[in-house]
Amino acid sequence: MSSVSGVFVNQRTEIERVVEFAERFGEEHQLPAELVMTIHLVLDEVVANIINHAYDDAAEHQIRVTLALEDSELGIRVEDDGRAFDPLAAPPPDLDLPLEERPVGGLGIHIVRSVMDAVEYQRDGGRNVLIMRKTIGRN
Amino acid sequence: MDIFQSTSDNVLTLTLKGRLDADGTDKLAGLLAGYIDRGERRLVLDLSQVDYISSVGLRALMLAAKRLVPLDGRIVLCGPQAPIRHLLDVAGFTSMFSIVATRHEAAERML
Repeated sequence: MSSVSGVFVNQRTEIERVVEFAERFGEEHQLPAELVMTIHLVLDEVVANIINHAYDDAAEHQIRVTLALEDSELGIRVEDDGRAFDPLAAPPPDLDLPLEERPVGGLGIHIVRSVMDAVEYQRDGGRNVLIMRKTIGRN
Repeated sequence: MDIFQSTSDNVLTLTLKGRLDADGTDKLAGLLAGYIDRGERRLVLDLSQVDYISSVGLRALMLAAKRLVPLDGRIVLCGPQAPIRHLLDVAGFTSMFSIVATRHEAAERML
């Protein structure tokens, strides 16, 4: 098991640091480019959503991101101390609607659920914890 | 995000190069809004050199395309690489956009 954590704050400029964190993890573990893009995408969606929506005040808050590799599984864990919010409670978008009727929201979490194999939400001691897993092809 | 434009037969083609992340999307969305304001109705977006797109970028494409519906305009997406194409599929874009492999096919869809 190999894992690394990074702490970020709730500012939009932090997304670039989150991306670097994902890419460094990919390089250290020699992950294929498409998997690194998946990690990048998931963290971009989840962390941007927290920064944009989780906080009721203007104070600085910490967002903790943990990436882990164990055997053939990638784990991504994101924790924040924002208001309780279960992103998995939203219904999936209706992808068959024609353009004029399709709402433009709700795509981020839908993408996260689609590119990961399992996504789980917990509210733990005043913190939102999102745990995501993906089986990867390595021995 | 670098964006190059060319026009042919009343079709505006924008070639996008780089990441459609939040910053790249800000740039694209501003340009698209400006072109539609000035009367462009048929747009091809060449995505062959886009190596990243998030929901922010997807949402901007949807907003521009939605705006074009009552104006009798359209956007055709062209040449996405496999990972980008996969995300377009995941987001349900196949029922909202024409997605073609080449700019030649994109031009044909505009006829």
